[in-house]
Amino acid sequence: MKKLIRVTVNDVRYEVAVKPNQTLVDMIRYDLGLTGTKNGCGEGDCGACTVILDGTPVNSCLVLAMQADGRTITTIEGVEGEKGLHPLQKAFIEKGAVQCGFCTPGMVLSAKSVLDENPAPSEEEIREGISGNLCRCTGYLQIIDAVKSVGK
Amino acid sequence: MSLPEFDFHAPGSVDEACRMLAEYGPKAKIFAGGTDLMLDMRRRRILPENVISIPGIEELKTLDLSSGMLKIGSCVTIARIVKSKEVAGKWGALCAGGKALGSCLVRNLATVGGNIASARPAADLPPPLMVYGASLVLKKTSAERVVSIDHFFTGTGATVMAPDEILTEIRLSEPPPHSGAGYLNLGIRNACDINILNVASYVALDGPGGAIKDARIVMGCVAPTHVRVLSAENLLLGEKPSEALFERAGEAAMNAATPRGSAYSRASAEYKKDMVKELTVRTLGMALREALGPAS
Repeated sequence: MKKLIRVTVNDVRYEVAVKPNQTLVDMIRYDLGLTGTKNGCGEGDCGACTVILDGTPVNSCLVLAMQADGRTITTIEGVEGEKGLHPLQKAFIEKGAVQCGFCTPGMVLSAKSVLDENPAPSEEEIREGISGNLCRCTGYLQIIDAVKSVGK
Repeated sequence: MSLPEFDFHAPGSVDEACRMLAEYGPKAKIFAGGTDLMLDMRRRRILPENVISIPGIEELKTLDLSSGMLKIGSCVTIARIVKSKEVAGKWGALCAGGKALGSCLVRNLATVGGNIASARPAADLPPPLMVYGASLVLKKTSAERVVSIDHFFTGTGATVMAPDEILTEIRLSEPPPHSGAGYLNLGIRNACDINILNVASYVALDGPGGAIKDARIVMGCVAPTHVRVLSAENLLLGEKPSEALFERAGEAAMNAATPRGSAYSRASAEYKKDMVKELTVRTLGMALREALGPAS
């Protein structure tokens, strides 16, 4: 049976009727229409569905929509500020860290979480922080360069 | 693949969760971190009628070191264990087990309790928890009991827990002076990987530079459950630690291992047995270095 939940996504409050077996990624994509979050493997291996849930990056394919009741979510659509793209997004473009783009939303959110926790991460910490996000195009080096260039 | 249909419940307390488990019976399933359960449900390996979500229960999220003992609420995430300086300082092998689990995204959801209760023979936390002699608190509506993790696993995916019991807390005593532990896991890659093999070792010395007075060696991925290698442990007791002694313990562990060799178990039985010896020797070395302290 569907149940009404309340979530705040990218500073916007939503009331959504969700089914018990609906995942958070499906709610974000199909009910809220925020298709920047990608649905990849559905098993927590690829990281394409990464969102920031109450300040912590998670695989939204492993969370039930009902578990998001009352919580705060940032998706890739919420990373851009009033002044345009987030510095991390600009760095991804500058360093050629985007090729097909499928992993990019999740990769940016994981990288943002690394920088939010530690503005000057080591390369090791950057690699660790994006270890849950698979990229089959870039070979990761450009991505690591991009994150490094934003870190202090 | 979509999830099967089920009813969803989010109890606010352990008592309420216990009442739900008692009411819905064996067709109910506890959802802790969900990182295993979601896969099992998608693949139709587990088809619960009722899913009882517990990661929102505050009393299951406490990490308590106040009594000298480490008490870990079952819904404490792996990420918290990995980031805890106190855990890293006294229970370093547990921290190492946490770091080896999944990716940082998975560790943000996966829980300590879930990694134990799902009873997967390749899980990262049981070997370190077993060498530290962890005990587990199991609760149901009418009672509470404490069991040693040594007696918890009965088979792959099977434990001594009754269908109406919830694992609420993991307790670890403070390791004694002149003791140390090590954990190593072997896989194809560092993140998002299922172990080919994992081993934890623990030694306690009879004073600085003394003989071994307590030893524990636990291996995973070589049997339906994690197993203690008593033959190797007994061989160490009362002896002065040495490379030759650890080699012999490694051989004993290798001989005690009964791995299944197939594509499904990720490596051949012969390879796993060889690596049991190697990882046992290495983790004993790590344990000894920690036991001897930073001056060694």
